[in-house]
Amino acid sequence: MSLRHMWIVFRKEARDLARDRRTLVSSLLIPLIMYPVLFGLMSMGMDKLDRDIQQNITVALAPSSDTGEVRDFLQNRVFLGRESIRLVEINVDPVEAIKKGEARFVLEVAADFEEKIATHQPVAISILYDDSDTMAAGSVGIVNQAIAAYGQSLVVERLNELGISTDILQPVRIDYASIPDDQKSGNHMILMMLPMMMTIMIAVGGIPAATDLVAGEKERSTFEPLLTTKPGRMSLLFGKYLTVTLFSLVSVVAQFAGMTMGILVNPGYLSMNGSSPGLGGFSVPLGALVLVILITVALGMVFAGLQLAISTYSRSFKEAQTYLSFLIFVAMIPAYATMMMQPQDLQAVMFAVPVLNAIAALKMVLGGAISNTNLLIALFSSMIYVIITLVFSARLFRRENVLFRS
Amino acid sequence: MLKLEGLTKSFGDIVAVDGVSFSVQEGEIFGLLGENGAGKTTTLRMLATMLKPTSGTAKLGKYDVVADPEQVRGSIGILFGGETGLYDRLTVAENIRYFGELNDMPSADIKRRTDQLSAAFGMQDYIHRRAGKLSKGMKQKAAFARSIIHDPGIMLFDEPTSGLDVGAMREVHAFILQCKAEGKTIVLSSHIMNEVEKLCDRIGIIHQGRLVDVGSIGELRAKYGGDSLEEIFVKLAEVVR
Repeated sequence: MSLRHMWIVFRKEARDLARDRRTLVSSLLIPLIMYPVLFGLMSMGMDKLDRDIQQNITVALAPSSDTGEVRDFLQNRVFLGRESIRLVEINVDPVEAIKKGEARFVLEVAADFEEKIATHQPVAISILYDDSDTMAAGSVGIVNQAIAAYGQSLVVERLNELGISTDILQPVRIDYASIPDDQKSGNHMILMMLPMMMTIMIAVGGIPAATDLVAGEKERSTFEPLLTTKPGRMSLLFGKYLTVTLFSLVSVVAQFAGMTMGILVNPGYLSMNGSSPGLGGFSVPLGALVLVILITVALGMVFAGLQLAISTYSRSFKEAQTYLSFLIFVAMIPAYATMMMQPQDLQAVMFAVPVLNAIAALKMVLGGAISNTNLLIALFSSMIYVIITLVFSARLFRRENVLFRS
Repeated sequence: MLKLEGLTKSFGDIVAVDGVSFSVQEGEIFGLLGENGAGKTTTLRMLATMLKPTSGTAKLGKYDVVADPEQVRGSIGILFGGETGLYDRLTVAENIRYFGELNDMPSADIKRRTDQLSAAFGMQDYIHRRAGKLSKGMKQKAAFARSIIHDPGIMLFDEPTSGLDVGAMREVHAFILQCKAEGKTIVLSSHIMNEVEKLCDRIGIIHQGRLVDVGSIGELRAKYGGDSLEEIFVKLAEVVR
């Protein structure tokens, strides 16, 4: 194998692919805009839902309760000062009104409510709503809270009349205290999403390059002339292999860049609840950072080896695309399976399992509880998998019945 | 000089090329004539070291296809029929340069030879245009230039006019004759009788993997009778069956 020939092939392939719009879109553009667009849309959708739940809560009265007194009672006492709750009138049956969206809630208030309040007896208020409606289910708590707050004000009033402190209602008080660790809580979303997305992106990022570099060459009839040039097969393979690895890693870098841009533009977008994970929230020791980068590169190399092997085996571009699409599952299954996993849930054995080792290493580093031993296990096992996949694709690349399959 | 001795290639139980022997001198065009599937491409693939012979040897110049595959590849130029095999996203110059670099040519030599070939084939107007944007004729000239950028002593042509129109076919023929004039050793595989008759000094007729006879047109005519190569080929096939 000649390093010079390898470099010539690598340089040509990188230039060639950099001019391919399809490769640029899938390896660079999509990873770059994926995070901001995905989370931007999710965030917009959730913001709108939140606004709909919090604001413009329409409440109607059941026909039996629709009197001036009840309306006045609700408007000027129960819902007083609550701008988001609006009393509306309905001209149809309450169930129908809810179904048609004329009102989110229909309230029925006991006719003798004034008398019950005066005699310190409970006033029955029933709330009719559709609990399968996301907005109604979300805002029922707001209506409930308004009614409960009014009830509480009556209790306070009555206790004051009797000269009793309201403390009597709270014999025990519970105070919650959380361990102060802003970094962990702030990075929770990143911790969940980043290892998953990164793994999938590495698996996907090299596919256009791998498909093009062998199966594509076979289909375009450029492969045989290439095989008749001076370099040995291994020089050609390794030049192509480095190109596929490069494009896998370009995808990851583009993904990080997209995420960083997203955080800079909208610091809360990745948390999806408005709390900022912040770029300053990360504090990773240099050694661990280097290890995790090496592990990520190694994962890219493992996928590059597999992708080239599949591309070598395939007779055409289409055949390679079909086989390579199955390879995405190899990344997706462990990525989704561990998505909700927290760093403290990681087990040592995971750092030796292919693909899972990179996910575990990234989760651990992002979570802050770093074990250098586990990182080294992940790196060492990754290197073994790189060698295995390389040997596999090299053997395939040497086989005449694979290269000239027809 | 090119010499094959008992060259054989089997794929499992199927013997694609069976003990083929012939030699070609410098400045000679040797035609490998046979039907589709006769073993012509497999023979050329072994000569280009893409396939390893199951048995037998082939020497291209002083290099053996099994012992010195890299040197063999460095001393041959090859042109396939059908698609030109150019990289569409690279310019003509980049395509030529890539093959020059792969064949270990110094950068200055690649530049000099590209300019020379560009002038010879009239490619100056489109040498820096991407191959994918060119007409079939332009691509063909670029493919010619690429195949001889390293000035190989031996040229292999595998069905070079397959799928081409008359004009393009004439261009290929002219190129082959130009290579002959430059003293290159040439093997041309084809199933087109007229083409072989027109271009080749000697012909080897290959049938079901075996070289059934070798000779000049005159020799074959004297031996089997008949006016055209087509008639000779049909008679020979009958003899073999």
